[in-house]
Amino acid sequence: MAMPRYAMTIDLSRCMGCRACMVACKVENNTPEAHFWMYVFRFEEEEYPKTRVWFLPRPCQHCDNAPCVKVCPVGARYKRDDGLVLTDFQRCIGCRYCEVACPYGVNYFHWKHPDKAQYLDYTDDPEVKSRTNNTMPPYRNPDADLRYGPEERLTAGAHHYRGVIGKCTFCVHRVEKGLEPACVANCPVRVFEFGDLDDPNSIVSQKLRTNPHFRLLEEEGTKPRVYYLMGNPPSPEVRQVMPVKGGKRG
Amino acid sequence: MSGRAVALPYGVGRISLGWLALVAIAAALVGVGAFAYAIQELEGPIATGLRDWGTMGGATWGLYVSFIVYFVGVSFAGITVAALIRILGLTYLRPISRVAELLTIVSLILGALSVLADLGQPLRGIANLFRYARPQSPFFGTFTMVIAGYLFASLVYFYLAGRRDAYLMAQYPSPLRWLYRAWAAGYQDTPEEKARHERISFWLALGILPLLVIAHSTLGLVFGLMGGRPGWFSALQAPGFVVLAGVSGIGHIIVLAALLRWSLGLRDQPEMAAFRWLGQALLVLGIIYIYFTIVEMVTAGYAGREHEQRLAKLVLVGYYAPFFWTGMGALGLAIGLLASQALSGRWSIPLLVASGILANVTAVAKRLIIVVPSLTHGSLLPYGIGMYIPTWVEGAIIAGLMGLGALTILLFMKAFPIMEVPAPVEEVRP
Repeated sequence: MAMPRYAMTIDLSRCMGCRACMVACKVENNTPEAHFWMYVFRFEEEEYPKTRVWFLPRPCQHCDNAPCVKVCPVGARYKRDDGLVLTDFQRCIGCRYCEVACPYGVNYFHWKHPDKAQYLDYTDDPEVKSRTNNTMPPYRNPDADLRYGPEERLTAGAHHYRGVIGKCTFCVHRVEKGLEPACVANCPVRVFEFGDLDDPNSIVSQKLRTNPHFRLLEEEGTKPRVYYLMGNPPSPEVRQVMPVKGGKRG
Repeated sequence: MSGRAVALPYGVGRISLGWLALVAIAAALVGVGAFAYAIQELEGPIATGLRDWGTMGGATWGLYVSFIVYFVGVSFAGITVAALIRILGLTYLRPISRVAELLTIVSLILGALSVLADLGQPLRGIANLFRYARPQSPFFGTFTMVIAGYLFASLVYFYLAGRRDAYLMAQYPSPLRWLYRAWAAGYQDTPEEKARHERISFWLALGILPLLVIAHSTLGLVFGLMGGRPGWFSALQAPGFVVLAGVSGIGHIIVLAALLRWSLGLRDQPEMAAFRWLGQALLVLGIIYIYFTIVEMVTAGYAGREHEQRLAKLVLVGYYAPFFWTGMGALGLAIGLLASQALSGRWSIPLLVASGILANVTAVAKRLIIVVPSLTHGSLLPYGIGMYIPTWVEGAIIAGLMGLGALTILLFMKAFPIMEVPAPVEEVRP
């Protein structure tokens, strides 16, 4: 079987900014507080009465010419043959050069151990215990502890180490099972599609054939694998409204 | 120790109160730095003021990276001065050659330690940077070429240049005789050995000079090659780093040479010609750096893309203007002081020292201006602006590293002659 060439399409005309994809990503990947592997910009443009509000989801762009892969000094950030750009959590030395090189701001560093940066204290939270019959629910997705791909590297999930980088993996642990990434599967209005660009019948290929599309910061030469349908790139005049909070947590 | 042994040249083995006080201060700084590092290790990098850029609104790199660049920059002048003595035959610089070489080695080690302070997984860093080294990454230049190649070459050079003095020192009865014997390793300063040493040192110096330009350039390329970062992406970044490295390094040597002359009570060593040469070199490099900065700002402000222009404005008249103008003002003042001395032909050591210190103020301020604004305000996507205020942990670790550098030089001074011993040894006995 030929190696697929994975890509994502994001239909901007459908997105209503509910941010359910962000929540799905968090639950699936156990990302700590203030880490948004999937992020939805809420934009405001022009002045009253012409004001327009629109939304732009921002996963990792899984670039073909990924700046993060180029700069990694140890090859922890790498691109798989199927196009997924992943981080080897066991090789990463935490220099954060990938984060600095990426123009999309999709990388999040584990400033403290992910176990200590969850929204709940999963080790011992009396309030949670009072509601769950004195047991602590598990938060770790066991699939993220497995190794994926022919390289068998530890690349899924966000709960492994302190002092390493993390970012959207296109849910490698789900894709390997033939499932869609969590954001795709959980969107209530089917903004996202995920599939193989080399298969002319895949839904991403069909959407790209029939819809006008652009890629984010294409002029940077990064060749992203995420295609935005039915919209325009954000101009320098857009204003972000309702940004996420949690700046000083890690 | 001093009671037993014959007095050695340049205060070797003689412990004075002033020296002890300096050692105590440096050791205290090292202690504070070690304590801060322990806190950072226990709590994680959360103990720093660094955060992710983008939604988290921080700066990913900050004080540590600025000081990696600064420390590696300081190393520039040491080995350059040593090499120029050999290649251009500038003999009046000879007395400062050893302290210059020592400065190179110490500052490179401090640079390496700042890298470790910055890494989220320092132990992995030590192993993986060699195990999985990728020459495609601009960091390869920083880690492998600078810290391994350049440091190693400098150490070899330092060792070879010190063998003659080690042999001379081994003639004295002293508790450190074993060290001098080991260093000299059979060297006896015969004419053949001397000629061979000169030859090796010459070729080594010739080899180190291009290595040095490459090393400082690759450090500039760490920033200059980042197409997606306004304020960084520039062909001037690499030559700019080389020149600013020279500015900070020569500034440091001037200060060190003056301190030696004063603390060792030497009236004519290093001689004024050496100070004059250093002052002239600092003047020329400072002017080149001002020129580079103007060209860079004009390009970014006049023809830069939207984000470049915004960032240039922020640095020139916005939030970061105080840092920028402190740096450029200090350099301007240093150039003024040096130019007036050059024009009048009267060089004064206090004024030279002032310019050396000012040059280093510029070097630190300019490094922060290169590293931070692009991360907090340079996003190409409409994230909000970020903020970076270093915590005391970062400050203490940097201060600790500086203390470590000072401590190393202070201890070395008492174990080995910090300047070349004039031959024959008997004549220097006080």
